This record gives sequence, structure tokens and C-alpha cells, in this order.
Amino acid sequence: MNTIASSWPHPKAGASSPWGRRGVRTVALTYLTVMLIIPLAVIFQDGLRAGLGGLWQSILSPIAWHALKLTLWTAAVMAIINTVMGMLTAYVLVRYSFPGKALLNGLVDLPLAIPTLVTGVMLVVLYGPQTALGSWLAREFGWRIIFAPPGIILALLFITFPFVVRAVQPVLQSLDREQEEAAATLGAGPWTIFRRVTLPALWLPLTTGTLLSFARAIGEFGAIVIVAGNIPLRSQTAAVYVLGEVESENRLGASAMSVVMLMLAFGLILVVDWLQRGRQTSRDE
Amino acid sequence: MTTTTVKLAKALTIVTLAGLLAACAGPATGGPTQAANPSVKLILGAYTTPREAYGKLIPMFVTQWKAQAGQAVTFEESYLGSGAQSRAILEGFEADVTALSLDADIERIANAGLITHDWHSLPHNGMVSTSIVVFGVRQGNPKNIHDWADLARPGLEVLTPNPKSSGGAMWNILALYGAALRGKVEGVPGGDEAAAIEFLKAVLKNVTVMDKGARESITNYEKGVGDVILTYENEILVGRQKGLDYELIIPRSTILIENPVAVVDTYVDKHGTREVAEAFVNFLFTPEAQEVFAQYGLRSIDPDVATATASQYPPVEDLFTIGEQFGGWQEATPKYFGDSGIYTQAIAAVQAP
Repeated sequence: MNTIASSWPHPKAGASSPWGRRGVRTVALTYLTVMLIIPLAVIFQDGLRAGLGGLWQSILSPIAWHALKLTLWTAAVMAIINTVMGMLTAYVLVRYSFPGKALLNGLVDLPLAIPTLVTGVMLVVLYGPQTALGSWLAREFGWRIIFAPPGIILALLFITFPFVVRAVQPVLQSLDREQEEAAATLGAGPWTIFRRVTLPALWLPLTTGTLLSFARAIGEFGAIVIVAGNIPLRSQTAAVYVLGEVESENRLGASAMSVVMLMLAFGLILVVDWLQRGRQTSRDE
Repeated sequence: MTTTTVKLAKALTIVTLAGLLAACAGPATGGPTQAANPSVKLILGAYTTPREAYGKLIPMFVTQWKAQAGQAVTFEESYLGSGAQSRAILEGFEADVTALSLDADIERIANAGLITHDWHSLPHNGMVSTSIVVFGVRQGNPKNIHDWADLARPGLEVLTPNPKSSGGAMWNILALYGAALRGKVEGVPGGDEAAAIEFLKAVLKNVTVMDKGARESITNYEKGVGDVILTYENEILVGRQKGLDYELIIPRSTILIENPVAVVDTYVDKHGTREVAEAFVNFLFTPEAQEVFAQYGLRSIDPDVATATASQYPPVEDLFTIGEQFGGWQEATPKYFGDSGIYTQAIAAVQAP
């Protein structure tokens, strides 16, 4: 919270009266409680109905465990690709100018606005086994994209596209280029400059963007249910597993998995917060 | 800028997870109460398959009720997957009449105390339409699929939805397993549970996509995925009516799918709609209503209508019901689809690395 407060100018008019300030705070906190905290608390209570032991037993059943592992490793592969390619995209968008750049820059955020179900359908239309591209890939390389983990990774990459780009871009923009130029004068090649001068400044936004994209990927449902194939122990992810448990009235199984997914996402977000706070204080000193 | 973007991304992550979790809570819709005369509103909560049939049946009933009782009746219709609809009604979607895909979904509402009368007392045990589990194959049947045994052929791609989320998928699995137990699958000796399980595993090995419902499954098949789909006969018939070019294969032995209908006592009493709701349900069993079901791919439970439409619905050599083969859903659901059920173990064995 303090990061936002410190980077924004203080509003003079409304905040001058203590009543106004208290009112704003009450409204915001009530809203947060009603919209976020209560629903999350219900999930936790539901998931822990049978105690921690019951929760683990439910998570460790082979189908649930496999679903969780599949979710995590596909999200991890996505996060690695996203880190490298997101950085590259941000670098090109900041450092180069070319026609259509503004338009491209605008496109980066679009995945946030598209229903992820549409993303799934789009990928099946593009890479499905019956399409020209999909059947060519299967014939020439024996690659199966849709109804297999590569499809999951592609869907996650599309959905989380903006995360790394948008985290890195502003830092790159505000970076002092004199250091890079000095390094060049001293005879450093472009790769060395990038590695020794640019990259160290970017590691925090990179980590932040990567972790957030990973957290976002854990809960993805809409696109995955279309592209994954959803076969238990083969291509069923945690979110799709939750749907099955809900539909077959195993509320405990559904909530247990949800609690684990929430904890993972929450843990990652705490790490991100901690990293940012570290930077904030080191800058203040 | 960085921090606000990051905060936004965080918020989105939380919102997405919360959205997923909201699925655990289920929908809750309230219906307003009714004035008695001269008009009345009836809420129908149904599964998706007979939607087109009800589109035709409802105007017929409206005209009839106007002439008979002098009351104008309007309908509010909701179509969901059978299990989801059943749960919606349970959690407060105030449907006066419910038409679902399987007995167990009505039973769930009755067990919660919302249906207090014996809903099996209707004609045909409360089953208003029937269908059978069949195969859909590509035009010209290029993979030469004629009976259950063909589905176990290595390399074949089979579509069936996930029994965890689809009633249709449960019918499919029981049709396959029942046929095997009855000795109607080539190479599988009748009455041999172990052999039937092996056969089930062999077919499950060929399943490439498990969609969440029958509707999604056939949509995928229509997009060109898979060699053969296990589904309701009416799905294939309605698809062909729409001009799609897959073909229908009826196996030698298959299960009779029976779709129940019931008045929901709690809600009709609350809305004061019992009379019209019961009249509507009774109307569904009349020959003229049964003819409409038959037009939309469902096998009629009315013997006369069934005879009249026999050319459209070829007889099955060995047709069995959930009751006679599996002792009803009460027994079959835990035995086959429970945590250590036969299907659950088979899929785990097939997919284990």
C-alpha cells in the first residue's frame, strides 16, 4: 500500500478533514472485506472442514496430485519462456522505434481483456489436430500441441503475455543510458553491456513479472478446459480437477485443491511484495 | 507506473482465483411470487438436450391451458447440464418443474426435501423420454467401427466426456461395461468382471479428450477431433438434422437412457402454481407431446408413438436398463464412479505412468 501512496501526489482537498479521511478508509476496507476477504475465508473454512489431515489426504490422491504437478510444471515452463521473451519484447518496445510500435504496444494488454475461453478456442482453431498447421506439426515432427501439455503452455503464455513486459518496460524506460554508453566507450560489446549493466537493473521487475504470471497461471481455467484434453493423470490440470469435484459433489476435494492453489498464489504475491519493499527501503536510504 | 501495474496484475490474479472458487458456491436465483389469476408464470429447470423439443412443446401447452383453464401461462426456461441444474434447484433456483437427464439428479432434489411426493408415481415411473448410448463416426465410417469391440483397437481416438462432471459420460461408461458383462462384446466373456474391466481399460486408453459435458464433447467432434464419439442417440440425430455429416452406429447391446421429469413441491406451493405445473407435466406424457420428443431425436415412451416412429429409431438387439443391469443409480454411482469405484480405478490404472 505504501508504494502507491508514496508515488501519488497527496490529495489536498478531501484529506484535510479527518472525517473525510476516515470515511474513505472505512468504505475501502468494507469493500475489500465484502468482495475479497469473506469469499476467501469461506473457501478456507470449507477446505479445512476435515482438518489439515483431510486436506492433505485429498490432495495426495493420485489424480489430484498429478493435476497439481501438471499445473505447476506447465506454469513453470511458461514462466521461463515468458521471462526471456517478455524481457526481449519490452527491450524492443523501449529501445527501438519502428512503424506500428504504438499499436503493438497497445496489443500487449489485450490478452487481459479477452475471455480466456476465446483464447482456448482460438488455439484449437490454430493448432488443433485437424487444422493445416496442427496436422503438419503432427506429421512432420510428431508434435501434439492441442490436448497435450504444449497446448496448456501456449494458452498460459498468451494469457500472461503482459505481465513481464509491463513490469520491465517502465524500469527500462527510466534507466539511465549513460552507464551503457560509458561501458561501450570502455570497449564492452553489446552482450556484455546488456549482461553487466542493463540486466542487473531489471532483475527485480523481471522476477516480479515472472512470479505474478506464474500465480496467474495456477488458477487458469477457461482456456485450459478447451485445449488440455482433461484426461485425469494425463492432461487434467488443478482448475479442471476442481470443476470435476464440484460437479460430482465432492466439495471437500474441490475446496482442498482450491486452498492449495490459493496458498501458492498468495505465497508468490507475498514474495513479490517483499522484494518490492526491499527495493523501496534501499532506495530511501 | 510499475507499482500500479503490478498491483493491477496482483488484483487480477486474486480475482481470477476467486472466480474459480465461486464455482464451489454455485448459483442462487430467486423467483418472484405469483398472483393467482388470471395469468401465471411457470419456471422450468431442465437439462440442455431437450431444449429444442421444449421450444415447441411450451407454446402447445400455453394454447391448451388457455382453452382449458382460461389462464394465460408464461414460461421462464433455464437449461443447464443435468447435474448443475439439479444443484441450482437445490441451492434456491425456484423451478416449478424440472426435467433432468438422470434419475439420480431428481433424487438429489427429493433427498433435500424439495420434492415430497412420490415422483415415480407418474406414468412410466416418471420417465418422460428415453434415448440410447450410440457411436458417432465420420462419414462413410472410414475406421470401420461397428460394435463395442472396435473401440478397443489400438490407435483409435475416442471421445467421451468426464463422468465426474457429465451424466452423459456415466451413461456411456455403464453402456460399455454393461454390454461387456452381458457377453455382447466380442472377445469378452459374459459375466466376467475382470475381463469387463480389462475391456473398459482398453477403451479408456483410446480416449483423447474428456470434455466437461456431452454438449462440449460433440462440439469438439464436430470440429474434427477424434474418430468416434460415445454419446446420446438424440445428439447424433439432431446434428444430422442440422446437416452435419457424421454417421450413427447403434451397437449390438446398449443401455436405455431414461430422462425423468418432476414437479418441485416446495416451489410450486410457494408460487401457488401446483395446478398448472402438474397439468404441464401430465401434458408431456400425452401422445401429441411424445410425438414432439420423437421429432427431436428422443425415443418415445408412448407405445403407439414408438410404433409410429419405429423406422426412425431402429430396435436394439440387446437393450438393458440401469435398474436391471446395475440396480439403479443409487447403487451404480458409488460402485462405478466413487473414489475407489470401478471406473475411477480403471482410469487411474490406464493413465498411471
